[in-house]
Amino acid sequence: MAFQAPIEQYSGKIREVTIGTGDNKVVAGGQNILTFYDFEGTMPHRPLIAMEVYDVEPQDWATALKDTLGSVWGDPVAWAKKCQDDFGADLICLQLISTDPNGADKSVDEAVETVKAVLGAISIPLIVYGSGNADKDSEVLKKVAEAAQGQNIVIGTAVEDNYKSVAAAAMGFNQVVSGETPIDVNMAKQLNILMTNLGLPAEQILIDPAVGALGYGLEYAYSVIERDRLAALQQNDAMMQMPIIANMGREVWKTKEAKISREEAPEWGDPTRRGILWETITAVSLLMAGTDILIMRHPESVNLVKKTFAEFGLN
Amino acid sequence: MPKVHFYPDNRIVEVEDGENLLRAAMLAGVHVNASCGGSSTCGKCRVIIEQGKAEAKPTAKLSADDIAQGYVLACTATVNEDIEVRIPIESQMGDSKAALDRELETVSYAGFLSAKDLSELFGEFTINPATKRLYVELTPPNLEDNVSDLERLRRGLNRQHGVADFNVDISVLRKIAGTLREADFKVTATILSLGGGECDRLVKLDAGDCSARHYGLAVDIGTTSVYVELVDLATGETLAKASEYNTQVSCGEDIISRIVYSLKKDGLQKLQQLVVETINKLIDRVVERAAVELDDIVYMVAAGNTTMTHIFLGISPKYIREEPYIPTATFTPTVEAKELGLRMPEGARVYTVPSKASYVGGDITAGLLASGVFKSDKLTLYIDVGTNGEMALGNADWLLSCSCSAGPAFEGGSIKNGMRATKGAIEQVRINPATLEPMILTIGQTKPKGICGSGLIDAVAELFLTGVINEKGRFNLELDNPRIREVDGQGEYVLAWAADTSIKRDIVLTEADLDNLIRTKGAIYAGITTLLDSMQIPVEAIEEILIAGGFGRYIEVDQSITIGLLPEVEGEKVKYVGNGSLLGARLVLLSREAKDVVIDIAQKMTYLDLSTNPTFMDRYVSALFLPHTDRDTFPSVMRRMKAILSA
Repeated sequence: MAFQAPIEQYSGKIREVTIGTGDNKVVAGGQNILTFYDFEGTMPHRPLIAMEVYDVEPQDWATALKDTLGSVWGDPVAWAKKCQDDFGADLICLQLISTDPNGADKSVDEAVETVKAVLGAISIPLIVYGSGNADKDSEVLKKVAEAAQGQNIVIGTAVEDNYKSVAAAAMGFNQVVSGETPIDVNMAKQLNILMTNLGLPAEQILIDPAVGALGYGLEYAYSVIERDRLAALQQNDAMMQMPIIANMGREVWKTKEAKISREEAPEWGDPTRRGILWETITAVSLLMAGTDILIMRHPESVNLVKKTFAEFGLN
Repeated sequence: MPKVHFYPDNRIVEVEDGENLLRAAMLAGVHVNASCGGSSTCGKCRVIIEQGKAEAKPTAKLSADDIAQGYVLACTATVNEDIEVRIPIESQMGDSKAALDRELETVSYAGFLSAKDLSELFGEFTINPATKRLYVELTPPNLEDNVSDLERLRRGLNRQHGVADFNVDISVLRKIAGTLREADFKVTATILSLGGGECDRLVKLDAGDCSARHYGLAVDIGTTSVYVELVDLATGETLAKASEYNTQVSCGEDIISRIVYSLKKDGLQKLQQLVVETINKLIDRVVERAAVELDDIVYMVAAGNTTMTHIFLGISPKYIREEPYIPTATFTPTVEAKELGLRMPEGARVYTVPSKASYVGGDITAGLLASGVFKSDKLTLYIDVGTNGEMALGNADWLLSCSCSAGPAFEGGSIKNGMRATKGAIEQVRINPATLEPMILTIGQTKPKGICGSGLIDAVAELFLTGVINEKGRFNLELDNPRIREVDGQGEYVLAWAADTSIKRDIVLTEADLDNLIRTKGAIYAGITTLLDSMQIPVEAIEEILIAGGFGRYIEVDQSITIGLLPEVEGEKVKYVGNGSLLGARLVLLSREAKDVVIDIAQKMTYLDLSTNPTFMDRYVSALFLPHTDRDTFPSVMRRMKAILSA
């Protein structure tokens, strides 16, 4: 008798979350299997890649990044268009770093202008992340949600300290919320319960588990995401069935391994290749664990991940 | 038992003869505003007796007109016959329908282990303490009968009491000659019989006949609170009790910080002195209350967690905290009280109840003894909710124990207006879902001073069910109500306004308090589920849950489940033991057989170390939510919440 590979059947399914509108919308989730386990079920949509765009000119970024992206730094519109047109991003993730009150402290209105300009220039869907300051983000994201009404964008992140206002903005203007919790299955679920209790539909929520990069907690992130996924699929836990988004580009490119020059570490070889591989390995690992949307930085890493998709027959 | 029929809620409750009318309303699940704890000062609990009579104390809060119309203050009235009571609209403050919609269930308290249960339990052990006080009259020596004083005493004790052989403390020996002659050779000998192959010992010799005055002390040394009971060792009767915060609290709130403190220069000595000072203070208090002589207290049995026991005996707890977490001893010798600095007479002895492991102490072995788990055929979960939450699962055949760091919240520690369950502590709380006005009752029905464990369980459950706080214990500050406010960026709820309290400050429950309470209940719940899962026993299989701790009298099972402190079980399975550690200490004090049993418990029980358990932390985080992150395990709470949301 021929060998029959054991097949796992899951009772749960990941929710489909639509981002964007019309012909250019994308859908995350929808699978009833662990990512790439297509012999056990179906994965109607391949994982998505959002490319990062900063609203300020980056300082101290790796040379590998400067070489390919440097020309558009300081111009978020050009940067976003380049990611869309030249690098094949599925989405743009606009990081509103300049709004940080402990940094440039740009006003809410300035942030909204940037969002509008980027939205006007691209046709692919948009994710807008604040600076990570809970209070400021709640103000910024509220206005961003309003300005982007009808565009069905993702706003984030909602955290324990501001989820009420972020979720309210998303409900009011029909946007998707990325809810961030510090790499813990239960805390992710708790935030989802709190947001759905407010009336935010589960179909408008993404889980951002605050991942770490290769060498900096990736294995922990991996196991937490995997457990998130098993809770969703095996235990059919409705509050864990949201797609997972990993804000990983910034984590990868702040590591020493991705940044350090050849002069400083000649034994580590070509820094460009090293950085790209660091990001790619992190990305593929997070995909294997169950991530549905990757937020990435280097075009070549994006390219390599897309090749991985192709090898799985996902386009 | 008389019946009370409440209108307009149309609820009937049967109460004990002489029950307070406000408490009857609480039992019936009927809301009556009451903000002074039942001390008859706020005058808000006005009700009308429509049928029957309720005896009520006179109060200036009611006019002659009111009285003529049948008004009484519920908190001053006692129920002695069937009555019908109307709650006027002003005492509900608003829409009574909202209160009805909420379907307030009639309350089921965790039944107390009744005095009858206890006497049955105690009845198994005959009173047989480790000490005896024996009066002897000796023939004075002469030239013919010239044996030594000690031999003379030995001869007398053997002839008159059959005590043939004993050793003697050198301190007694030094005084024997004087005492005998002063007392005309009529003396009382205190003999200590430890058993276990140890020779009896003469530890004290007193002039005259004091054999009828034979007292001992049962002590519970908690991380946060210390309890002392003075017990008549002849009758078994408790003559007086007293309790106090453990003065060591000034050196850290939990066990770990105490151990850290003990490692400082003279730290151990200081901690040892502090706890002894606390006990001494309590000894003074019980001696005064019972009007006995300190000199007649000859024995003490103390129970406490392993760290407390170590410190009490002056043994360094250092290695309890360091991997692989080893105590110096789980079985400790009987020592002289003087050696520890205790205010007890020379020769008096102290025994500490044996521990199981570094974090499962004599408090739990004592509790398992006192609550009868050791001989029960029911699968029992015993939970001692102390600063160190310790628990055990099992029955007469097996016992598995574990412990978790729960924090002192339920003893009132780390809670802004928290206090122990003593007079003036808010012990019951209801909140009207429509008006968010509270109904509070205090211990002793005096003006509130603070809030104790049972009141905290109630308050958190009520705030949660009325939507004042969310699952994370955060206040909904959008609610427009003067009792809900933000102070220094932190939400809080005013349980009692300053004017209604005895401390002349608002009594509040803050977000920081809620964080501490949620952590405490989370740790205990995580301990429970780890224990159950490690034996692969489902919650439904538990036949009895015994709760020990200094909560206060009224622990409501539903409310405890609502906040996720206890798993969903039928109310009648839950019983409240009170201070199990103290009860056990008293038993060991009174009976040498009980001591043998507690030793047996400590030897046979299995210990599950949660610090090395890979699932505990995960369970803990999932329990940091009201009632729990895994809501499917709390179906009845979810139903109650849904009912309220839709109302």
